[in-house]
Amino acid sequence: MATTVLPRPKAYDDTFFKPISIWLTTTDHKLIGIMYMVTSLISFVIGGIFALIIRLQLAQPNLKLIDPETYNQIISAHGVTMIFFFVTIFVTGIANYMVPIMIGARDMAFPRVNLLGFWLVPVSIILYYCGFFTGGSLDAGWTGYAPLTEKAYQSHSLGVDFWALSIIVWAISGIMASTNFLTTIVALRAPGMRFSRLPLFVWAQISTSILLLIVGAPLAAAMILLEFDRQLNTHFFTTDGRPVLYQHLFWFFGHPEVYVMILPAFGIISEVVPVFSRKPLFGYMSMVAALFGIVFLSMTVWAHHMFTVGMNTYVEGFFMLMTMLIAVPTGVKFFNWIATAWWGSIEFTVPIKFVFGFLATFLIGGITGIYLASVPVDTQLHQSYFVVAHLHYVLFGGSVFAIFTGIYYWFPKITGRLLDRTLGEWHFWTTFIGFNGTFLIMHTLGLEGMPRRIATYARTDWAATNLIITISSFLIAASVLIFLFNVVRSWRSGEIAGNDPWQGNTLEWATTSPPPPYNFERVPPVRSFMPVRDLREAGELVEQEPVLTPS
Amino acid sequence: MKIAGLAAVALTFSSCDVGGVHPIFPNPVSPNGQDIYNTYIGISLVALVVFLGYEAALLWVVIRYRRSRQPAGYVPPQVHGHTWLEVVWTTIPLIIVLAIAAYSFVELQKDFQPITGEQMTVVVSGHQFGWQYDYDNGVVVHQEGTITQDVPPFVVPINTLVKLQFRGTDVIHSWWVPAISGKTDAVPGYDNFSWLKIDQVGTWRGECAELCGVGHYTMQIIVQTMTQQDFDSWVAKQKAAASPAP
Repeated sequence: MATTVLPRPKAYDDTFFKPISIWLTTTDHKLIGIMYMVTSLISFVIGGIFALIIRLQLAQPNLKLIDPETYNQIISAHGVTMIFFFVTIFVTGIANYMVPIMIGARDMAFPRVNLLGFWLVPVSIILYYCGFFTGGSLDAGWTGYAPLTEKAYQSHSLGVDFWALSIIVWAISGIMASTNFLTTIVALRAPGMRFSRLPLFVWAQISTSILLLIVGAPLAAAMILLEFDRQLNTHFFTTDGRPVLYQHLFWFFGHPEVYVMILPAFGIISEVVPVFSRKPLFGYMSMVAALFGIVFLSMTVWAHHMFTVGMNTYVEGFFMLMTMLIAVPTGVKFFNWIATAWWGSIEFTVPIKFVFGFLATFLIGGITGIYLASVPVDTQLHQSYFVVAHLHYVLFGGSVFAIFTGIYYWFPKITGRLLDRTLGEWHFWTTFIGFNGTFLIMHTLGLEGMPRRIATYARTDWAATNLIITISSFLIAASVLIFLFNVVRSWRSGEIAGNDPWQGNTLEWATTSPPPPYNFERVPPVRSFMPVRDLREAGELVEQEPVLTPS
Repeated sequence: MKIAGLAAVALTFSSCDVGGVHPIFPNPVSPNGQDIYNTYIGISLVALVVFLGYEAALLWVVIRYRRSRQPAGYVPPQVHGHTWLEVVWTTIPLIIVLAIAAYSFVELQKDFQPITGEQMTVVVSGHQFGWQYDYDNGVVVHQEGTITQDVPPFVVPINTLVKLQFRGTDVIHSWWVPAISGKTDAVPGYDNFSWLKIDQVGTWRGECAELCGVGHYTMQIIVQTMTQQDFDSWVAKQKAAASPAP
């Protein structure tokens, strides 16, 4: 149907193997996005190795694979790495790549802030791991509750200080990225891209950025006060001070952080379901409203992590109610997704399989969240393996499944090549089975009374469950190896994707794969929240000469 | 009717007790633990319906609406939304969570308020790494950190309302015996309260639930109940051991 074919731009920059000087100095949001994503996947592998060590140590009672001190450092490093350096960084990276293209912009609003914001991430990561080489890393869990992190109990190492510095740098980087996203989306939308036509992924990024902008500073404040305690002998959180104040500050960041990690995931799911169902997104406005409902509610629920510290029961009742109310907007999203797929014509590619994996597992995380929100029940479940299972259903079953969805969906746009489908199927099924094998049964350990973060246990009746979990966790490790192999092989020699392999709805599918440095020769007209689909159906989609051609 | 339903679900749960896998807590022995248990079962009734309903709908979509099952050239209806449907699936979850929150709040007011009329008070203080129990009759029990699970038991008489007063002496600890009730943090700087009233003779285990340092996993707890008579002789023995005859 195409009437004209635009020629391939001359100075085309389509190879991954660029001089290192380009990678170090680029302000191109796409290259920065790729660096974000690659950095986060390296963190994913490191965090995964920590997880396997934890699982080996817990496979049977009374194992002494590693000593308790090392164990505490490793569980802390696993949490910090996965939350701060993997999931958050990955969703920032994929948004960095996609948001400007999706709104028809040439780059982010502040390219050099983008550059600085990204390079603070490796700084933050390296700062954290410095702890391992200076007498011991953080060993108080990723939450680092005071007064265990205070000088009185942690004087032997600099691990806590490096962690605090690392998190401060990380928060600054996050604030930079959030400011940049918001400015870009407000100021650089293409003609016709009204707010009411923004793709849901962009809306998700607006809500995420608002959250991180608000809660990044209290996190840094908590870390700065902790450092005052440690270095200047103040008593904010010490045994003589108010240790619970630390928990309030930390969770005022910590709970919204959960949504910083899951809202972009919601955005990815909202993009992928309509494309493969061949239906428009069901309830666009209620999806946007649900995002902002979650943003508002998520800042009023932090103390549900603290139901055992001894608060007034009316205060606890408030936090319980607000927490449970989050189920309402989340439920709206769940129903709208399934309504989008209903009556559809669903093409079961790898990305949509991960979408259904996401829906099936994240639902469990959402439901167990209601149990944990109920104060009386939470006093039993809190700090037990039930919580560990819950948070992995939310973070792995939710965010990570959505991240894989996004990778399979956008890999052809980013590299010009499709990920291998057979390997993708293997990856999906090993992940799905391994994940549920690891974490579904883990709920029962918590109910039986196994606290989280214990270095070993003597109870023989926990042995069988723990062994099953450990075996399943290695299946997840195998799935990650399949995935990485697929990424490396497909990036080098995968099937050439063309510009629009999925018949997508949003603007990124109107440009070449990979897109040129300036994204669009001419931004296509935008008439709805599915601009490329409109053009395709009207027969007005301008074909671009493909960048990659079979050799 | 409601109780029969609860009992049926509890029975279903306990019948899947295979190889040490328990989908619910150990049988609670204290009334506050029993109330938590009932709340858990109550939420589970709703949660199971939501879970099964949504997963079944997902399965239906996967089976019925895959492209290979649709007629060739099928063009899906281009539905953009449906206001009433969206209102319905906003309102119904809202009603459900409000009901769960109300039910939980009633239970919260019932069992988590400071109690009066206690027959005995024990100060439970946590330290790195162990527990110390100071009875109001002067007896002191120490449970020092060990992994071998043979710490001296914290003994209470049966059918006695015991007020527990939690105190942290260094970092934050959390006292948790799942069969009795939920956990309470022992925080430095102020005291927390909980209570127990056990109607049977027995021994229950628990451990510290808040990461408190390198010996966190060694902070084992054993609670033992005795009849009042046995308890009195246990107290006498403890006092004799604490102050040997001159």
